[in-house]
Amino acid sequence: MPSIHFEQVTKRFGTTTVVEDFNLDVADGELLVLVGGSGSGKTTILRMLAGLEEVTEGTIRIDQRDVTSLAPRDRNVAMVFQDYGLYPHMTVRENLSLGLRLRKVAKTEIDRRVAWAGDMLRLEPLLDRKPKQLSGGQQQRVAMGRAMVREPLAFLFDEPLSNLDAALRAQMRIEIGGLQRRLGTTTVYVTHDQVEAMTLGDRIVVLADGLIQQIGKPIELYRSPVNRFVAGFVGTPPMNFVEGHVTAENGEAAFMAEGIQVALLPSEVSRGLITLGIRPEDMDVELGDQADSSASKGFPGSVVLVERLGGTSHIHFDSGPHRLLAAVSNERLPEVGENITVRLKGERIHLFDGERRVTS
Amino acid sequence: MKVLRRIALYGALTLAALTFIYPFLWMASATFKPLTEVGTIALFPDNPTLDNYRTMWARAPFGRALLNSIMVAGTITLSVLVFGSITAYAMARLRFRGRPLLNAVTMGVLLVPGQLTLIPMYTLIVQAGLIDSYAALILPYLFNATAILMMRQFFLQIPQSLIDSARMDGMGEMRILFSIFWPLSKPVLSIVAIFTFMGSWNEVLWPLLVVREQQLMTLPQLLTVFSLGGGAGSIGVSLASAMVLVIPVVIAYAVLQRHFIESMASSGVKG
Repeated sequence: MPSIHFEQVTKRFGTTTVVEDFNLDVADGELLVLVGGSGSGKTTILRMLAGLEEVTEGTIRIDQRDVTSLAPRDRNVAMVFQDYGLYPHMTVRENLSLGLRLRKVAKTEIDRRVAWAGDMLRLEPLLDRKPKQLSGGQQQRVAMGRAMVREPLAFLFDEPLSNLDAALRAQMRIEIGGLQRRLGTTTVYVTHDQVEAMTLGDRIVVLADGLIQQIGKPIELYRSPVNRFVAGFVGTPPMNFVEGHVTAENGEAAFMAEGIQVALLPSEVSRGLITLGIRPEDMDVELGDQADSSASKGFPGSVVLVERLGGTSHIHFDSGPHRLLAAVSNERLPEVGENITVRLKGERIHLFDGERRVTS
Repeated sequence: MKVLRRIALYGALTLAALTFIYPFLWMASATFKPLTEVGTIALFPDNPTLDNYRTMWARAPFGRALLNSIMVAGTITLSVLVFGSITAYAMARLRFRGRPLLNAVTMGVLLVPGQLTLIPMYTLIVQAGLIDSYAALILPYLFNATAILMMRQFFLQIPQSLIDSARMDGMGEMRILFSIFWPLSKPVLSIVAIFTFMGSWNEVLWPLLVVREQQLMTLPQLLTVFSLGGGAGSIGVSLASAMVLVIPVVIAYAVLQRHFIESMASSGVKG
């Protein structure tokens, strides 16, 4: 039974359409991530769900109830904002309890819930401080606590980690994920960061220009992106793309581009202009120019930059006119200027006809 | 060297401060001097006396005028703050049809000098039959475009997420204004309050036009009528009445001074 239900939701600001014909079901207890670049409409969708933005057309239901025209306070959802939205003139305790006090919840119950959230988020020593006296991570936890004490039907997160530094972001990401699993509250989480999306989401919705590109489990988006946009958006470092065409001779198909030739299975044949997508981690790099390259999906390259990250290294190389990137864990790395042979691992190549995927 | 420079600096600043404060202190001390001593520039009277105040109080209803002034200036200040901030909040943070026009009109009002509206305003008050009433003193000043624009400017800087949070928490717009925006806008509210209060407190021309009955006169009005009309008799009595006029403003300033300076520094408004 879906907990949140969008039906043909459209949002226009004046003549600009920001979200068009958006349909989505979020299951009870699910953590769904909306991910996309700026202007993709992800925050607008979340704000419509919260009631902070009017819906131009369509219906939004929360727990079977049509909330499309209800005020935010009547929707029983709680939101965590990018810059936290804590009231600067109130203590942490007052920030946590305000929503409950306004709803006339009994004092003992408020105290119980504040203590519960304080305990869960390690906020007890901070309850009588003002937000200004807290670090970014602590403010973030207060914002989450404020959502938790409401015990809402759903949590809405709007880029909650964007204002934190990298280390803290990774830590808070784990905390949010853990907390959501423990509470089991349906959650819609908006981010532009695909790493957050991949690590947190039960399912991910990839958005561009107000339209859904793909909905799926993180690994599905990674393994089988439906179009070039999703392929390029999901995964770090991003997928390599090479424009070329497919030829078929004597029952043997191949992808051909200047300096790159990749043998394809016959089933993959789709003649004409094609874009080849290869993930950096799906390439093996061998030192030296190997002659047998075309037979085993290998092609030559010339190294232009090597980034050593410790465990893995990023090798930037040129094959013909194409600048590509391979992520490898080799012991011996090539030097800049050295020739290499690149082999593709297994069947993990992606072919796109224009924007759309043609094979897996 | 550092100490010397510091001493020189403080010396110069003290001197500058004294040139500002001295006339005021002299006036304050002169009110306690008998007539024979008023001419001297000394700050401390040889024979201090309260006669000037007794005379002043006896000759005209200054007590009543003081209450009138407090009532009129207080009501106007409160109204400018409450209604002004409601308007400013709507103009700054709500989306509605005609908002750009409202902004433009409010801005336009600033371009019209007060003197220009004096006569039409007077005519209106006469036609409304409000001459010789508190309403005549208060009504024209209940709204103030400058105050609205100053508050609007300040409200624009308050993060949207606070409004969003408050709406999610269950507040209505009025509640957001008074329990979130007001506490965060103390600097601008105090500067608006003090400017409005002082402006209204010092107003002489308008009360002179619409009030003739002594019982309704504000302090500066009564003072003007009293001093210019020769009622004071001596300079000491005139100064004593001026003192009564000045003291509430000085107190108000002392109380609000911290916010006042903060606001001057942050908004760049020049008094």
